[in-house]
Amino acid sequence: MAGSQLKRLKASLREQGLIGPQQSKKQKRQNAQDQKAKTDKRLQRSEALASIREQFNPFQFKTNARGPKFEVTTNRPANDKAALSIKGRPGLAKAVGEERRRQTLLVEMQRRNKVGGIIDRRFGEDNPNMSLEEKMIERYTREQQRSHKKSSMFDLEEDDEPAGALTHMGKPLFDSEDEAVKDDFAEEDLPSGDESDGSRAERRRLKRQRLAELAEEAEDDEGEQPERKKTKKEIYEEVIAKSKLYKYERQAAKEEDNELRAELDQALPELQALLFQRPKPPPKDEKDDKSPIVIAGKDKAALDKDYDIRVKQLAADKRAQPAERTKTEEEKAEEESNRLKELEEKRLKRMHGEVDEEDEEEEEEEDGEDKPRKEKGGAGEKAFDPFNAEDNDEFGLGKGVKYRPTATELGFDDEDDFLIDDDLVASGSDLELDSDDMESEGSDGEDAESESGSDDDEFVKGILTEAESKDPVFQPAANSKGDDENGIPYTFPCPQTLEETIKTFENIEVTKLPVAVQRIRALYHPKLDSKNKERLGKFSQALVQHIGYLGDKFEPHWFPTLESLIRHVHSLAKTFPIEVAKAYRGHIQGMEQDRPLGITVGDLVILTAVGTTFPTSDHFHQVVTPAMLAIARYLGQKIPQVLSDYATGTYLSILALQYQQFSKRYVPELMNFCLNTLCSLAPEKPREKLGFFPVHEPAAGIRIKGASKLPIRKLNCVDCQQKQTLAPEDETSLKVAIVSTITAVLKSAAETWHKLASFQETFQPALLVLEHLLSKPNASHLPPALTSRLADTAKTISQLLALARLARRPLELHHHRPLAIRTYVPKFEDSFDPDKHYDPDRERAELARLRAEHKRERKGALRELRKDAAFVARENLRVKKERDAAYEKKYKRLVAEIQGEEGRAANEYAREKMLRKKRAARGR
Amino acid sequence: MSGTVGQAAVSVPVKRKRLENGDPSKKRRKSATDDDSEPKAQIEKLENEIFESKKHYNNIATLIELGQKQDEDAKTGLAAADALCRVFIRLLASGSLVKRRDASEKDLTVTKWLRDRLADYRGLLISMLRNSRLALNALMLSMALVKAEALHLNDRQEAVFPRYFFSDVVAAVFESLDELLREELLKKFIKQYDDIRFYTFEAIKSFLTDRGSSVNEDIRNNVFQMLLEMGDVPDSSGSMEHFYIEQPQRKKHPLRSLSQHKKQAQEAWLALMHLGLSKEQRKKILEVMASSIAPWFTKPELLMDFLTDCYNSGGSISLLALSGVFYLIQERNLDYPDFYVKLYSLLDSDILHSKYRSRFFRLLDIFLGSSHLPAVLVASFIKRLARLALNAPPSAIVVIVPWFYNLFKKHPLTTFMMHRVPRTKEEKDLLESEGMEDPFLPDETDPMETNAIDSCLWEIVQLQSHYHPNVATIAKIISEQFTKQSYSLEDFLDHSYGSLLEAEMSKEVKKPPVVEYMIPKRIFTKARPDPEEKDSLLVGLWNFGSP
Repeated sequence: MAGSQLKRLKASLREQGLIGPQQSKKQKRQNAQDQKAKTDKRLQRSEALASIREQFNPFQFKTNARGPKFEVTTNRPANDKAALSIKGRPGLAKAVGEERRRQTLLVEMQRRNKVGGIIDRRFGEDNPNMSLEEKMIERYTREQQRSHKKSSMFDLEEDDEPAGALTHMGKPLFDSEDEAVKDDFAEEDLPSGDESDGSRAERRRLKRQRLAELAEEAEDDEGEQPERKKTKKEIYEEVIAKSKLYKYERQAAKEEDNELRAELDQALPELQALLFQRPKPPPKDEKDDKSPIVIAGKDKAALDKDYDIRVKQLAADKRAQPAERTKTEEEKAEEESNRLKELEEKRLKRMHGEVDEEDEEEEEEEDGEDKPRKEKGGAGEKAFDPFNAEDNDEFGLGKGVKYRPTATELGFDDEDDFLIDDDLVASGSDLELDSDDMESEGSDGEDAESESGSDDDEFVKGILTEAESKDPVFQPAANSKGDDENGIPYTFPCPQTLEETIKTFENIEVTKLPVAVQRIRALYHPKLDSKNKERLGKFSQALVQHIGYLGDKFEPHWFPTLESLIRHVHSLAKTFPIEVAKAYRGHIQGMEQDRPLGITVGDLVILTAVGTTFPTSDHFHQVVTPAMLAIARYLGQKIPQVLSDYATGTYLSILALQYQQFSKRYVPELMNFCLNTLCSLAPEKPREKLGFFPVHEPAAGIRIKGASKLPIRKLNCVDCQQKQTLAPEDETSLKVAIVSTITAVLKSAAETWHKLASFQETFQPALLVLEHLLSKPNASHLPPALTSRLADTAKTISQLLALARLARRPLELHHHRPLAIRTYVPKFEDSFDPDKHYDPDRERAELARLRAEHKRERKGALRELRKDAAFVARENLRVKKERDAAYEKKYKRLVAEIQGEEGRAANEYAREKMLRKKRAARGR
Repeated sequence: MSGTVGQAAVSVPVKRKRLENGDPSKKRRKSATDDDSEPKAQIEKLENEIFESKKHYNNIATLIELGQKQDEDAKTGLAAADALCRVFIRLLASGSLVKRRDASEKDLTVTKWLRDRLADYRGLLISMLRNSRLALNALMLSMALVKAEALHLNDRQEAVFPRYFFSDVVAAVFESLDELLREELLKKFIKQYDDIRFYTFEAIKSFLTDRGSSVNEDIRNNVFQMLLEMGDVPDSSGSMEHFYIEQPQRKKHPLRSLSQHKKQAQEAWLALMHLGLSKEQRKKILEVMASSIAPWFTKPELLMDFLTDCYNSGGSISLLALSGVFYLIQERNLDYPDFYVKLYSLLDSDILHSKYRSRFFRLLDIFLGSSHLPAVLVASFIKRLARLALNAPPSAIVVIVPWFYNLFKKHPLTTFMMHRVPRTKEEKDLLESEGMEDPFLPDETDPMETNAIDSCLWEIVQLQSHYHPNVATIAKIISEQFTKQSYSLEDFLDHSYGSLLEAEMSKEVKKPPVVEYMIPKRIFTKARPDPEEKDSLLVGLWNFGSP
């Protein structure tokens, strides 16, 4: 399409049929004839013109300056031709912007410094559909409504007289026919002013309809009344009467309700009595008569107060909880076994050292709640008892006792079962009565101090005594309320330190100590006094120390006593874990500081107690770990000089092994000690090294000589005490006992540890040592029973060794997933868009996005402002121009006017002149 | 008293003036209380007379006699010795004891007589040194005299140190039983003055060589103690500038050369070592060998035989000799044949229980620190230590395992000891059917031949279930991924049962400890004949006196 712009324009105009060869007259006439087509045509024409104009305006479209992009440089869809060619319509956008400005900015500009004023908010003011009269009426009604609304809702009199109805000369303004209209406006549900008027009119219409229907109904109800058609007034009166009737009925019902309520109020005290089960004085006859008076009269205030108190009590009352369903025996057993299983699982977890936070919390909870049931199978009387928990204390004693199956648990929550089955509770059980006495004293005290709760206390006490008197355990106690045949006092001060404990227990035979301890625990049970918890905590510490103290000066027949004392400590430890642990740790610490290698029998007892009180299988335990270290220290560092050292070491080896029975952890020191001891006691020194364990040359006279005739005995604690002299016979028998015990320890160690990875290396030396002991020169000095034991152990160990050999596999410790090397190469994007930002750092990306947005917005705002300014300037200029033009015009007009006037005057003058001239000429 | 004498020794002229000025008044005052301090006054009188004229020189002999009575009257003896010291110092300073060629016959006689008296006085001082009560004072007097003699006994320009007298003093110090005396000498003189140290070395050497084997154990011990505490070697010849007598003028003077000092020290040490040492002394020597003995030697090679002997002797001695040997290897390029074999042989059952464990591990870490060692050798060390760890105290295991870790990192070939997957089917079948024996040869002495590299560290895996939680956790690092570059050994050395227990005990019990949920029925008593109850291990093996 070559050619100049003009040619092209002409061509396109021609194409559209806008210009063309001149039309003939005939054609013109034809065109003019069909008028209809004419308008169409004009439209078409203007459209065509617009399109041509568009086409020929090079600034109408914004296009890519360099034409469309090649496909390779962009991954935008190529088929979008329009999008490719036209990127924007600047002219249009400009026009739109201009228009918008004209609508907003210009208006603002024009109104600036000019417009202020009052907005007319009168009703219907700007409503063109209302006549002036309507408006006035409407306004009047609204005013009336405003004043009307202030009156009471239940005011019946109100609509009898239309308050302040419009009157004219004393007569109502409206006729009776018109009343309907008025009534209509008086309706409550009249639409408010802001509702559209059309809808209001509609409503009004509907309402009229409804009323008409009502009236018809009323008519029907009246049945065979004269056929006379009711007037509107009648109908409306009826309607009004009806509504009044309804109103009255409602009021009557309300009154009735009130009466009923009053009646109930009167009866309330009795109801309350029923509710609270408050034993009332027998009702007096005259009271019945009096009661209404009471309520109405002066006592009302007191009653209200009482009521308020009751309400408060009710609010403060705990919501009743659903009682646990009584469980069957099977369920109980199952629950019990589940609980045990769970505890065992927890122990295993701790053993593997994988206690996490929440577990710990759980454990803590459980520490409080744990009521260990001793008997594994016996679900019988030790049923699961949800109310047993320590933390239910706030419910008071009564409840706890009530729910407890055995009252012995009152005194000592869980351990009494064993105390009972050990017959330890036998004769001294009247102590419970003591505690009861104490308790009642306590509650008396409480009575004194708190008057308000006295009733409740009595209540509780009643239940308590009832429960106790029912309890079988208390009955024999009451029977044997005589004296204690053992000479143990019934009351003790609660010993807080070791010295006090020793002093307290001075006069009590050691074997009777558990009874005393039991009594102390009952006397100072935490439930009896708030301070008792602290006292008992201290007592448990003192008790631990006392056990150590007793252990030091032990006598063989004390061990059952020590055992039950340890068990007492154990059960105390459940309530006071920290205190007991501290006591044990304190003992271990003292032991380590004063006599790390001179462990006494008391220490042995304490270490044994630690092993039973705390779970020794834990990966880490605050008490067991130090205890184990102390044991290992003795075994590893003590170079035994005398036989008692060997005996102590043997005891500790057994203990160490017992500690590790469950978790099967390896104790190198135990092996060292056992093998060294065997080598030292062997009649002959081994010729070569038997293993990597360190061998200490024994002191003179330690080796066994000529013991072949001796029987084997067991070791006992006396052997652990260092003695000056021993008969040679006893000495040899002690040596034999040590060897036989160590052999047994080795055997049991082998059985404990046979699964360990390096069992072979660990026990090969043991086997060698045993073989050494069994060799000819040695065996001849040993009793045959011992040699057979040695041979037995050697056989066991060699069997286990063979098994271990079979089970041994090369180590494969590092089947870890290979560690990824950290990469800094950017990730490859499949659909990479250069416009997008692929920042791996989320925060930074977010920030960049925000920044870009801000920049864009800022630019846009600047542009807008600039355009606004330009528009304002343009507008100002235009206004100025207009003003100037007007001025110019006016000026010109004035000038012209003046000139005109002057011209006329000149003309007149000229005419006058002419006239004079003529006259003069005439006159001459 | 000793203080004033010491001062007198340092500032003789001032003292003299003061003495002269103050004497009359003192005398007057003294005369008032004549009775109680009669010998003192007498001594003072005698002394003053000597100062007044040569006629009274005979007083010196009287004073010496008085001094020799020190056994009976310590006070008088001391006062006399004190006075004599002042007298001699003055005489020496005035040059009365110098033999002059131009002096007359009479003067010479006087000089000779005075010199004899001086010798007597020396004898007196030495004998006083043996007296434990007077020894400290005598030492001060002797040292003052030594200084005076060195400066004034000859008319030469340079001071001549009275070696014989000084060695007598040193010998007397060694022979005395007084610990304080030695300390005094060490602290006030030897450590302070470079020349005194020099001459002490010399004196020690001559003392030891003269007496030979007659030196008894105590004296030897004393000498040993003294030598041990001689202090550090000076950095260079220039840094020696504390002299008791005076700094020698000549640059070449032996006192001013470090090598001469070292030579003296070396000779003193050698003299001591030639006498033979007790085991304890040997241990002590070896302990400080690298730090304080070997640096004194100009030729540390001389120690070679001693160290090799010690190293070969085995036990803790060889452990201790190790650092000395290492010093020689490092400093003198000592070529110790089969060093690693010997080192390997040190890894016996006692090493992990020894108190020198940390010291040994520090050295072992150095010896095996090279990444150029054959992996086979390193594997042998690892395996051997792992074996030993089976019987080791926790504090040793705690060191070993991180050290293993470092070695594994450095010698990746050895990691097969932790992770070895059987490759072939036959191998697997064989393992299934017969298990396996540890290919490690524990009795092989050559670390290159132990087959340790084919073995596995089952021992450490066993220690992962060690009774002590921390040890077990540390042992677990070898089965974790090796993400750490290396462990610093110093964090793990120097633990003991005590420190481990202390660490446990220092933690406060805050969280209630877990209590065994079942209270055991029996602890000490035997179970009843009940199929469900079973005796615990303890009750089974121990007799608690229950029926």
